[in-house]
Amino acid sequence: MKREAKVINVSEQSEKGSSTIKDVLGPLVGMGLTLTRMKDNLTGKVAATISYPEERRTYSDRYRGAHILTAREDGSPRCVACYMCATACPADCIYIEPKEVADPLIEKAPARFEIDMLRCVFCGFCVDACPEEAIIMSRETEISAFTREETIWGIDRLMKREELPEFGLGYRPNQELIDSTLAFTPKKPEPKTMAGRVTMKERATKIPHITFEPETGED
Amino acid sequence: MPKFILNDQEVEAQPGQTIIQAAQDHGVEIPHYCYHADLPIDGNCRMCLVEVEKMPKLTPACTTVVSEGMVVRSANERVKTAVRGVLEFLLINHPVDCPVCDQAGECRLQDYYMVYGLHTSEIPQSLKVRKSKAVDLGPVMLDQERCVECSRCIRFFENVTKTGELQFFGRGDHVRIGTIGNQPLDNPYSGNVAEICPVGALTDHDFRFKARVWFLHSTDSVCGGCSTGCNMRIDHRDGTVFRLQARRNVEVNRSWLCDEGRYSFHELEKGERLLYPLVKNGNGAPAQATWDAAARSVDVRLKEIGANAILGLASPSATNEALFLFKQYLGEQLGATLLDFRTDSEDRRVTEEEDDVLRHRDKHPNTMGALKLNLASAELGGIDGAIRAAREGRARAGVIIYFKPLVRREGDVDAEAKIAELVRSLEYSVVLASHHADWQQQASVVLPVAAWSEEDGSYTNYQGRVQLAAKATEPGGDILPLWEVFAMLLHVSGAESRWMTPDDVFATMAERVEAFQGIQLEQRRWPGALATA
Repeated sequence: MKREAKVINVSEQSEKGSSTIKDVLGPLVGMGLTLTRMKDNLTGKVAATISYPEERRTYSDRYRGAHILTAREDGSPRCVACYMCATACPADCIYIEPKEVADPLIEKAPARFEIDMLRCVFCGFCVDACPEEAIIMSRETEISAFTREETIWGIDRLMKREELPEFGLGYRPNQELIDSTLAFTPKKPEPKTMAGRVTMKERATKIPHITFEPETGED
Repeated sequence: MPKFILNDQEVEAQPGQTIIQAAQDHGVEIPHYCYHADLPIDGNCRMCLVEVEKMPKLTPACTTVVSEGMVVRSANERVKTAVRGVLEFLLINHPVDCPVCDQAGECRLQDYYMVYGLHTSEIPQSLKVRKSKAVDLGPVMLDQERCVECSRCIRFFENVTKTGELQFFGRGDHVRIGTIGNQPLDNPYSGNVAEICPVGALTDHDFRFKARVWFLHSTDSVCGGCSTGCNMRIDHRDGTVFRLQARRNVEVNRSWLCDEGRYSFHELEKGERLLYPLVKNGNGAPAQATWDAAARSVDVRLKEIGANAILGLASPSATNEALFLFKQYLGEQLGATLLDFRTDSEDRRVTEEEDDVLRHRDKHPNTMGALKLNLASAELGGIDGAIRAAREGRARAGVIIYFKPLVRREGDVDAEAKIAELVRSLEYSVVLASHHADWQQQASVVLPVAAWSEEDGSYTNYQGRVQLAAKATEPGGDILPLWEVFAMLLHVSGAESRWMTPDDVFATMAERVEAFQGIQLEQRRWPGALATA
């Protein structure tokens, strides 16, 4: 079916709405907003930037930062070296070496579990692939180091981190961990005065996260 | 030849074949656990149920013999529902510990669950029947919880090795397999039960937690452990061999491997590898050399010494192609007559059976090939004759190939000592070996060559069957395959040498050597081509 094209005559419209007052006042109103913003910025009422690292923004609960290996009750890694994360990893940055465990109900544990943080693309596939809730992510972003060797994190570094409580837990399958615990005590982060836009401050704590209902097996 | 209709297509079956076998021949996979082509039929797992027209109930495809005009359906809804039901039953007490199970990735439970099951388990973990896990049975690990009671392993020990170590214990839900008192298996063929186990109940102890199977690459090869020449698959990754699995060949090894052959690749990992050609300089100290320089120095020196004083000792572990070029270079090009390969009585033992399942007494893969190439000289009569010739001064120079045996026997130490003595007695000796040994310091030239699994080539087994062993891993350093070394020597010596691959060498060999005449290249792949007597 042929439809008629809607024609807008630009010159006609501009001629109709044109007036000297509007032409002069328009830019002045805009300039007024700019000046108000400038005044607010200069007096510190609002700031587009924050003073990092003294001030930090809070990231989402599903932020994908450096990984955490979760622990069993006894503090050993929850990981059973099944290689699901290494298989799913698109960056090929996870290296696992399994070992035998005496407990026949566990059987297998990682002798080495290393993540090359320089190769990692922080996609979170490893967290999705893990059948044991053994690997989750944190909101930690400050992972730079002076040598390349330091950027390959082993089991110890992935399990226990002093600085981690500052950032909190990131992307994980369950909001509250079900099968596993953490090898460190996460201290409640102190509420920080947030700089930046007011709207940003309001949204920061309210970003929703998705939780998966765990299958209890009883139903 | 009975004709029957399988899933609306008329197909032909061999007389006496069961439905599952005929379907397999026509590329239709009927799910099964207990059926195995080389084991007696049991019909206990009920996974292979198919619909046969005019039969009131579904019937197992593994026990029903095809008859003329039968109408079989293996993929309709009725069959799928039944198979799903059987699978759900089999999984009732399964611990679902796939993350720690070595079978994951090649597990029939996983495979069929994805095709037929996809159901949610109705049984909570707490109500599942618990059995023993991680029981160490020596070469294999037993996990009774994962077992589906298909009895493949039991039938293997009863019918193939006729020893009957494994048995069922208990009834119903509590049935489990095991040995009496969990005694370790003491059987030279135990590794097979881990391979034929369709689930993770029996897993290989040697391969335990070494690698996940989906990371491995497979290469078809032939065992280098004895003269049987069992067909096998090399599973490897990043240049490391992880395990060897049997490849079915009814004419040679059916679906089995002996444990010695299955774990023979560990022998290659032991010891130091030779990586670069070593040529003794004026002071008598071995110095690293390029292949070109080494080959030229060898050729010049051998020609100086003269054909009559050259002795060649090949190895029955070398490929047909390498042995052929060895003979071309030393026999045809240089004119040497003192050529042999025996360090022991391989020629006599090659057809001697060690037991009535697979193994032969001769622990070299290619003795028959060397015999077919007429490398056993009556004049020399093996290594003892060679040592005598060297001591008497009849032989002054020698070209010696030595491969570490993949399967160890008591005589090996003697054989190696004799080779060391031969090298000591010679004025000029060229040793071609894969691994370092102390006696090689006596040699004038040591050339590093590829070991088993590192080169393409063919072996002739005790039956005279020529079989292809493909290259699985890349050797390091400047290592060259043996055939290439002799091709290079022929080239520097001024002879025509235009072979680019071992296949080219074999084609030439098939033309020139009577025993290999008429063998096509593809024939060697599977099930192997018989060389004439």
